[in-house]
Amino acid sequence: MAAQVTTNQSIINDDSGSLTTDSEFQTNVNSKKRLSSSSNILPTSSILSPTGLTSLISFIVLTCAYISGFMSRLFSVIRFESIIHEFDPWFNYRSTAYMTENGFYNFLNWFDELAWYPLGRIVGGTIYPGLMVTSGVIHWFLHMINIPIHIREICVFLAPFFSGLTALATYLLTKELWSRRAGLFAAAFIAIAPGYSSRSVAGSYDNEGIAIFALMFTYFLWIRSVKTGSVFWSCCTALSYFYMVSAWGGYVFIINLIPVHVFILLVLRRYSLRLYVSYSIFYILGLILSMQIPFVGFQPVRTSEHMLAAGVFALLQAYAFIDYLYTKLPRADDLKQLFFGLMIFIGLSVFAVVVILTYAGYIAPWSGRFYSLWDTNYAKIHIPIIASVSEHQPTTWTSFFFDLHLLICLFPVGAWFCIKELNDERVFIVLYAVFASYFAGVMIRLMLTLTPCVCVLAAIALSKTLDYYADTETSDMSTSPVVPSNDNDENENETEKNNRNLYDKAGKPKPIPGRRGPTNTNQDTDDDTSIVSSNIKTVVVICIAMMLMLLAVHCTWVTSNAYSSPSIVLASYNNDGSRYIIDDFREAYYWLRKNTPERARVMSWWDYGYQIAGMGNRTVLVDNNTWNNSHIALVGKAMSSNESEAYKIMTMLDVDYVLVIFGGMIGYSGDDINKFLWMVRIAEGEHPKDIREQDYFTENGEFRVDRSGSPILLNCLMYKLCYYRFGELQTDFRSPPGFDRTRHVEIGNKNFDLQHVEEAYTTEHWIVRIYKVKKLANRLQAKNALRQVQRRKSIYSTSKKTSGQARKQGVILNKPQVKKGTKVLTRKT
Amino acid sequence: MARLSIICIGLILFVTVWSSSLNIEGSSKRVLVLLDNLAIRETHSFYFKQLRDREFDLTYKSSDDSNLQLVKYGEYIYDHIILFAPGTKEFGGRLDAEILTQFVDAGGNVLVAGSHIIGDAIREFAGECGIEFADDKNAVIDHLNYDVNDNGQHTLIIASPDNLLASELITGEAKKVGLPFLFRGIGMSSDSENSLLLDVLTGSSSSYTANPDEKTLTEYPTTVGKRTLLVSVLQARNNARVGFVGSLDFFSNDFFQSPIQSNDGKKSAKSGNEELAIALTDWVFKQRGVLRARNIRHYLKQDKTTPSFYTIKNDLVFNVQFDEFVHGKWMPFNGTDVQLEFVRIDPFVRTTMKNNGGQLEAQFRVPDTYGIYKFIIDYNRIGYTHLFSATQVSVHPLRHTEYERFITSAYPYYISSFSMMVGAFLLSFIVLYHRDEMPKTKVE
Repeated sequence: MAAQVTTNQSIINDDSGSLTTDSEFQTNVNSKKRLSSSSNILPTSSILSPTGLTSLISFIVLTCAYISGFMSRLFSVIRFESIIHEFDPWFNYRSTAYMTENGFYNFLNWFDELAWYPLGRIVGGTIYPGLMVTSGVIHWFLHMINIPIHIREICVFLAPFFSGLTALATYLLTKELWSRRAGLFAAAFIAIAPGYSSRSVAGSYDNEGIAIFALMFTYFLWIRSVKTGSVFWSCCTALSYFYMVSAWGGYVFIINLIPVHVFILLVLRRYSLRLYVSYSIFYILGLILSMQIPFVGFQPVRTSEHMLAAGVFALLQAYAFIDYLYTKLPRADDLKQLFFGLMIFIGLSVFAVVVILTYAGYIAPWSGRFYSLWDTNYAKIHIPIIASVSEHQPTTWTSFFFDLHLLICLFPVGAWFCIKELNDERVFIVLYAVFASYFAGVMIRLMLTLTPCVCVLAAIALSKTLDYYADTETSDMSTSPVVPSNDNDENENETEKNNRNLYDKAGKPKPIPGRRGPTNTNQDTDDDTSIVSSNIKTVVVICIAMMLMLLAVHCTWVTSNAYSSPSIVLASYNNDGSRYIIDDFREAYYWLRKNTPERARVMSWWDYGYQIAGMGNRTVLVDNNTWNNSHIALVGKAMSSNESEAYKIMTMLDVDYVLVIFGGMIGYSGDDINKFLWMVRIAEGEHPKDIREQDYFTENGEFRVDRSGSPILLNCLMYKLCYYRFGELQTDFRSPPGFDRTRHVEIGNKNFDLQHVEEAYTTEHWIVRIYKVKKLANRLQAKNALRQVQRRKSIYSTSKKTSGQARKQGVILNKPQVKKGTKVLTRKT
Repeated sequence: MARLSIICIGLILFVTVWSSSLNIEGSSKRVLVLLDNLAIRETHSFYFKQLRDREFDLTYKSSDDSNLQLVKYGEYIYDHIILFAPGTKEFGGRLDAEILTQFVDAGGNVLVAGSHIIGDAIREFAGECGIEFADDKNAVIDHLNYDVNDNGQHTLIIASPDNLLASELITGEAKKVGLPFLFRGIGMSSDSENSLLLDVLTGSSSSYTANPDEKTLTEYPTTVGKRTLLVSVLQARNNARVGFVGSLDFFSNDFFQSPIQSNDGKKSAKSGNEELAIALTDWVFKQRGVLRARNIRHYLKQDKTTPSFYTIKNDLVFNVQFDEFVHGKWMPFNGTDVQLEFVRIDPFVRTTMKNNGGQLEAQFRVPDTYGIYKFIIDYNRIGYTHLFSATQVSVHPLRHTEYERFITSAYPYYISSFSMMVGAFLLSFIVLYHRDEMPKTKVE
């Protein structure tokens, strides 16, 4: 033992020595950290037990994982500012601010009058309040200890804060599943994996930010309770599940995955009393707790999504009872087949009961969103509003690599290792891997749930591999080359350095536990490793280290470039590399806030509802909480009808302003014209007589805004609002006036006037255009008469212009020639 | 929530909402009279005397006066305009058809008289108001209903009171008295889809508008039959009123007083012109048929307080005071057909309000649907100003503490949960204090 410790010290000594000698360019922080750690260890080396050292290293690695997880998500704050991102976070922020101002109960009963005019929205009953409550509690706590922080800062930094906690939860889960070393790897992976950081960068204040933590923690507690069979741990699982339910609709994943785990364990004949205790307690407590969330309500007992859990619960009770009988009955072995048949029968009858109840209407059938998971075309046909969201599109294979890089390659290996050495809890992670990868393939959004699982399994795979190759018992040298290898790279950026430390340290502790508490697996590996020569081991370890480095570089790059844009502030780069900020959204919303009546109602496509309410503080008709399809369809119909039809709808809905997003001026592709077909489709779903998608295509079936575009498209409200007076604008000397830079065409309908709306505001780059809906005309003009008169008027207009407002003599037909005419002459002289 | 307390803010459009500088409720009576020639002052003196008796402050100007102006220091210096200058091709001074329409849009009232000589300025203004005068030199001709004093062209026609609009507010007693009207002038036409215009007096079915000097009709007449408008009024959306009379002579002393003998021998001692002219002027200058709503209140029936929001199924009371401008004074309005709507896209409640001496009241129960509602009174009757009032309130669902407690159908569940608790207690008591082998096996 002592020898082992000293070797370890020597490594550390080598490490620090090499650092001090050839690290003129080394950053101070790092060397200090190293030196202090080594100096701590050196004097107490004889007393320090391997366990202590392992704990210390684990602690340091986890701290580093936490810090790097937090830091790598701050790109958006550094590049832009501390700002809430995108769409949904704006609502979350607004309701959090409301809650901290008015208290929890007022929040629970909050009737939001700014949303869904004139229907309104009960906020308390239509959201998962976990996120708001979490930041509210943090806010309350910080204020209690006299840190007067604004709630916005808490909201901005909540997701990075929780991603650190996710790393810890993943460590705990992996530790339960495999080993502590794998756990450290998993913690480091999840901290920087882009698949997760895409949803949890600073400012992306959304449910997923805290829900992934709750998910991983619940899974950890579940594994723990299955392992121990203790009531305490299953109660903890239920509580953690409750937190998850309060935080995210994805809790359905838990309440289906855990029953599937139990069911598979039953099928694999791995039933145990531990399983019985943990599942029964978890299910009952979790059921009761989850029903306390107003938004969830009676769903857990009334919808098909939750029936698997209930069915498995019933099945488990029956199984336990039969198992009990089996042990009690004398000569039960003879009746084995009877018991088996009984089990099958009970299983089928439980299934039949659920089916019957569904047909009888007691249980709601699968919701549309759920169907679209099984049939990817379902949403496109039946629920265009779901299909219209970009994050509900099927995932491309590139995005797997983009989001997970090396981990996606290690993922199947880890799964294979788990299957090879199967036990109760590894069944769980395998099931998790199977389901999550299916769902991630269906919807790009569900990449998020796959990522933790990939991190866990990749960590297992890597840990197992390094168990072979980085074993110091056969060669002490094998680890030491790893150490200098990271020194060479340390003059890169800081976040990478953190990651580097992680891999280094995650690799280093391997020798110690590997020797100390040899498990079955490790003994096997020891036998295997003896075959491979130490040189090859070294090479392999270096290769792995290099790959991990690449992973870290890739993760940092992806997080900083792809996922750290707030999307309400855009950045573009000039030719000289300088950055140019496009801040049109906030400009427009600020204009709304300051220049429109307090009760003004703004019509826009639903994407911008939360932002208008959050930043502009104005009433919107539809927003990102897409609960009322027909209301959205009405807005879609208004946008896709011609002006006078649209005016009828707008009057009916009391619209005061219309807001459209137009990217043709600067080439911003996420604008309303590009989303327009979805508006048409959604409107068509509700008003098939008035709106037909076919009318908006050219004869060749193309969607074009140029001269060949369909006349209905070129005269609909959305087109007119986007391109009003755009025909007068020449964006570029090489292109004709009215050249749309997003679609790269010259627009087809240039010179038109707006009849029922008037332009109120257009932002600097024309991204946001706001129009005011005019009142009905005070008078109606006689069309024929006016045409005649105006023709005549032109005769006089020239003389009028020259005379201006000067005093002029009028002209009267057939005026009696009274000699008063002299009066005029006198005045003129 | 504090903001919500100002619930009455909404849109409350009173009749006065448009007039920034004009008092159109009849208390000020500054009238600009524009004339072709000042002789009209004498030939129409009866009419002007009647107006002066009604305390109108008349200012006579020639329509080509180079000093004409309506606005001084940003304020309108007249409330009403009488345009007895049909021949005006171009106004003098700072006045043209566009300024006149602005005057109307600001709430001013205009009475326009035409004649067979009609200038472009008048035509343009009429066109802006939706009235189309026939071309210059045209006149209304009726070969079947003309006065014996006619010069042979049959342009001095007799308009029957049967073709008069049946609205006492606009036409006064003229319909009831039943005297025919003398008319010599130009015909008008209007778009039948224009809901803001009222045809006060139309020609008979045998009338048409054409140039009487041309012996043969070369083209189809501008207006034919009952579509020939003799008198027409516009009540704009801001309740400004504009009256169009095709004949300037209609207001003249001659026509007011002359006896009528039609071509088929019917006689009457006096024409109805005076009655109609005065009634029409009163109406156009808002001495009649003006309504206003004030003191809009709504409160809970229970405790008579106005909450910042209503909750579903509340009983509420809506109150509004309606006044009518009668004889220079605001009097309580007596109509009983005013309806109140409680609207969220569609009206959920529509009731007729009870009238207690001008105090209109409605009581109803808020529907069991939450949302943002509006109390809407949309009172639009011929002769009255259009009265529209919308007050926005929000209707909330029940608070979490307001739901019913201890409902009978839940008693089985209460019983089951309490019996469960008792059972669990007893069971644990037995398990803890009953010494037997049974509990041991259970633990394992």
